[in-house]
Amino acid sequence: MIRCKPLLGTFVEIRIEDQSPPLKALDEAFLAVEQVQFLMCFHNPNSELSQINARSYLEPVRIHPWTAEVLRIAKEIYLQSQGVFNCGVGHHLVEAGLLPKHGKLNNYSFGGIEDLQLIEHFLVRSSLPLCLDLGGIAKGYAVDKAVEALLANGVQAGSVNAGGDIRIFGGRSQAIQIRNPSKPHELIQIGSMSAGAIATSSLYFANRSSGSKSFMVNPLNQGHIEFSESYSVVATRCVYADALTKVVSISRNTRHPCLSHFSAQAIRIPNTQSP
Amino acid sequence: MNWKPHPLFIIGLAMTSAPIIAQAKIYVSVEQAQKILLPNKSLAKNPMIITEDLQDKMRSASSIRHPFQGDQIWRAADGSWFIVDEVVGKHEMITYAVALNPSGAVTGIEILEYVESYGYEVAEANWRKQFVGKTAVDPIKLNQDIQNIGGATLSCKHLTDGVKRVAVLYEIALKNQTLSLKAK
Repeated sequence: MIRCKPLLGTFVEIRIEDQSPPLKALDEAFLAVEQVQFLMCFHNPNSELSQINARSYLEPVRIHPWTAEVLRIAKEIYLQSQGVFNCGVGHHLVEAGLLPKHGKLNNYSFGGIEDLQLIEHFLVRSSLPLCLDLGGIAKGYAVDKAVEALLANGVQAGSVNAGGDIRIFGGRSQAIQIRNPSKPHELIQIGSMSAGAIATSSLYFANRSSGSKSFMVNPLNQGHIEFSESYSVVATRCVYADALTKVVSISRNTRHPCLSHFSAQAIRIPNTQSP
Repeated sequence: MNWKPHPLFIIGLAMTSAPIIAQAKIYVSVEQAQKILLPNKSLAKNPMIITEDLQDKMRSASSIRHPFQGDQIWRAADGSWFIVDEVVGKHEMITYAVALNPSGAVTGIEILEYVESYGYEVAEANWRKQFVGKTAVDPIKLNQDIQNIGGATLSCKHLTDGVKRVAVLYEIALKNQTLSLKAK
């Protein structure tokens, strides 16, 4: 059984290999993805992420354990990547018209994920105004939560694919095909996986008119970056795969030292049509 | 983690072998989607003729030019609705179902089919015909297994536009039917 729903701004496919899976397993897996969207969506002014952006500089904000876990992982990857991964770039995407504006941006000098402190397990506050965007990590986390929901329902084998970020479990080896960055409608079989996750970063679906900016920002120099190849990262959990693709594509280094810390590996697919 | 890189890819040959084209994915049938989105409700088919005027209003609300077909509309006894629609983009054709509660709020969306190819093929009526009437139990010529396709994230904006036009359909055409049924 395989189902697909529009969530997280993309298409989320959830597949169960079992012959007669519990009926509610798929529903609960989709609900987990919806919950992540509800908590961590930048577009929704009432999400916990928007509340953190609006208030954590002024007062402590109590958050859901899932939001807290994503923020903790984001801080860990920030540290391990020496700042190449940082969710504190939302204001650049708002200025470029790529994310909606909630209230005024003022002339704040915004901090980054390093300025956010988890003062208790589920309580955060920030020492600087923040404009965090979890777009580079929450999708992978949602995939992991969907897999957890399937496992909790006794599902033996399956997979979750959120717009190209994939996690597979249950032992049956499955071929993994990645879009060719030169021709995104053609696929390249890059390997097979029976357990693990893979996520990919590229800009070929950005549908941009010339002159508009890319949705990827390098936190170290705050510039929008351009590249025509694609970078995939294979890891145990999709949250790591998703976030680490940003480290690899921003640094353009498939051997970035932080990959081994997370037992991950990176794959670069060149764009054969670019000069 | 259990990951095996493709040996040809490692030495750069997978790039030169014949390309695999992303084609058609069939997820669930109309009947399955009805059970998923409106469980335990018996549905009566309620096709409608879409007037030019309504078609125009749906078009301007959604920016989808492809006309809405009024033949796949169902109504539940409690006034809920189940509508199947299709959006055709430059690179994709998506058939989806949307369920509305009696007051017109979207209670669920399910993708039935996702067909991806080059723009000119999707636009070509004959090419599209081969998929008409195919269901999940009829995988002829389509992929037996749904592929695990990785890559940059595809936006679902086009589908979101489709749902906007269904909302207009409710406001202009379905709402009155719900009200007149209640009046009886």
